[in-house]
Amino acid sequence: MPSKVERWKDETYGMEIRDHLERFAEEGFDAIPEDEHDAWFERFKWWGLYHQRKGQESYFMMRIGTPMGRMTPAQLRTVGEVAREYATGPVDNPEFGHAYADFTTRQSIQLHWIKIEDIPDIFDELESAGLSTIQACGDSWRNIVGSPVAGRDADELVDVWPIVEELHDRFKGNDLYTNLPRKWKVAVTGDRRGAGQGDINDLAFEPAVKEIDGDDVAGFNVNVGGGLARKEPRLARSIDVFCRPENAAEVAAGLSGLFRDHGDREDRFNARMKFLVDEWGTEKIRSVLQEEYVDYELPTAGQGLREEYDYNAGRSDAPGDYVGVHDQADGQHFVGLSVLVGRMAAEDVIELADLAEEYDSEMIGLTQRQNVIVGDIADDDLDDFLAESVLEDYSPDPHPFMRGSIACTGTEYCSLSIVETKNRMVRYARWLKENVPVPEGVSDFHIHLSGCTASCAQPQIADISLRGMKTRKDGEAVEAFDVGLGGGLGENPQFADWVEMRVPADEIPGYIANLLEVYEANREGQESFREFVADRDEDELTGLAEPEETSYEDPYLGNTKMTWYPYAEDEEMSASPAPTNASGEPIPTDD
Amino acid sequence: MADRVLKVNAFTTFDLLEGRVEGHGFAEEAFATLNVRTARENPESVSLELELDNVELDSVPAHADRVTLSAAEARELAAELEGAAKRIEATEEDDP
Repeated sequence: MPSKVERWKDETYGMEIRDHLERFAEEGFDAIPEDEHDAWFERFKWWGLYHQRKGQESYFMMRIGTPMGRMTPAQLRTVGEVAREYATGPVDNPEFGHAYADFTTRQSIQLHWIKIEDIPDIFDELESAGLSTIQACGDSWRNIVGSPVAGRDADELVDVWPIVEELHDRFKGNDLYTNLPRKWKVAVTGDRRGAGQGDINDLAFEPAVKEIDGDDVAGFNVNVGGGLARKEPRLARSIDVFCRPENAAEVAAGLSGLFRDHGDREDRFNARMKFLVDEWGTEKIRSVLQEEYVDYELPTAGQGLREEYDYNAGRSDAPGDYVGVHDQADGQHFVGLSVLVGRMAAEDVIELADLAEEYDSEMIGLTQRQNVIVGDIADDDLDDFLAESVLEDYSPDPHPFMRGSIACTGTEYCSLSIVETKNRMVRYARWLKENVPVPEGVSDFHIHLSGCTASCAQPQIADISLRGMKTRKDGEAVEAFDVGLGGGLGENPQFADWVEMRVPADEIPGYIANLLEVYEANREGQESFREFVADRDEDELTGLAEPEETSYEDPYLGNTKMTWYPYAEDEEMSASPAPTNASGEPIPTDD
Repeated sequence: MADRVLKVNAFTTFDLLEGRVEGHGFAEEAFATLNVRTARENPESVSLELELDNVELDSVPAHADRVTLSAAEARELAAELEGAAKRIEATEEDDP
């Protein structure tokens, strides 16, 4: 029998949800019948809206999908203006202030505290700038990821931007692919860095060269069925197909059509492409694709570039991100700026957009490491640009612990999380910077912090993986983390080994300090941290370092998920003003 | 060490319990998660899932245990738990 979500989707889904959104905006939040909340909130996801967690009823998170994280400075400015005007809640965040934008690990933008009454105006502003929230969530083609500097990067095989634009235009709002069994995540990589992180996507185009009729053709190898979710992370697997750039849309249509028709619609837990690949095997995926979904003979896979990949690869000979000054193919430069945990104040977003425009940049890029890139800085202007004051906070040359930190949304807004994440990661990074010597040769050290066993901060592919849990300390339940080590992508992608469970959150900085001391003392030569971990077996890794209390203080140790907002003066659930009307005033309830 | 088998998030019934595994010739204690789960759509039964933190256990491999209860069985269990809870509370009242 089809699932409940499938029934809701049958009734109303896709583009038409917009009409209902407009109606509710007109009539107000309390016009959404209470017994239909679950159904409507599920449908709203298709338009990029998530209802915030308990205690924050009537407020929404809005996700803006930017293909490959790419925007113009004018679009970035619009994001900043929308955030400044609409993404404001009843209480400020102590680290980030009143209004801010989050850059996500899938190169999208998330705004919080959005009122449904404001949505038509927000959509107007976004759409007039060529931005959209369409299919940013829900069971369909999600935001396509890849390197935002495609076409500019001096270090690439294929410029994938035209391909991604074609895929985005063809598959967003396309009735044939509107309603898939589950989300469909696509990465397109044309660079030699592996910056698309295709291994963790449902469909990955990886750069490759294939000799066809005596010519070396640059294109892609096709991998399917990667993903991090649940206890069964998978790396995307080769289906032995080489794809010319001009065939990418047909192959993508074929594979997402195959998933639409054969994915599991009975059980959402089993509905991802990775499980279909498990069930069928790659040969069957290939043969069904060939026989039923594409009209030309698929070539076998070509020669990939994987051994060159350095993005989030944990290598000692290359940084694993886009932070810093890089050469463009046209002689100009792109400059990657570190945005700690991906959150940027709305005013800073606007300032950066203005600055980019001032320097004649035509491209802003959001990366999967939650950072931002400004493209097209002329050689002559570079020193001036690097001296701009906004780069003091968003540095192209940050401290390694500030540079590598990623965090998901956490209990601040998310219904799933069981621990506070972003503010804590900021405090961890600052403490580490002040108190822990950086091991020699380490330029970026990747710590990914996720609030639960979902994988929004991609915890399995970091030097140090932190995943929210609880433990008991001095008789009290406190927020804690499971700890994993040694994950990363690159030539030999590897998921983290989980080595500690339930380390109290206030003992994590001490644990990391102790761990890095062990690494520094015992590594061989220039061995990277990831290589150091890979050289050790499970028994050795467990207990490699001790958790320890230090001078680090954690203000969020209690149970933040039980608060209505962790930073409110009165954080008790009963003190919540939500649900509120368009002006933010509490809506009277019957009880 | 293996990854957790059960997912743990804000909807997990208990993310921090004290558990014990016992067999012939071994007994170990560990923190545990316990979750009551029904299928999100058209549920026909209740799953009661238990996992002890495997990092603290040597005697058994990483695993979770699950029992399936009918609606009547779930209700019977709930009633027994309710009764047991009352007995604890009564003791506490007698002997504060």
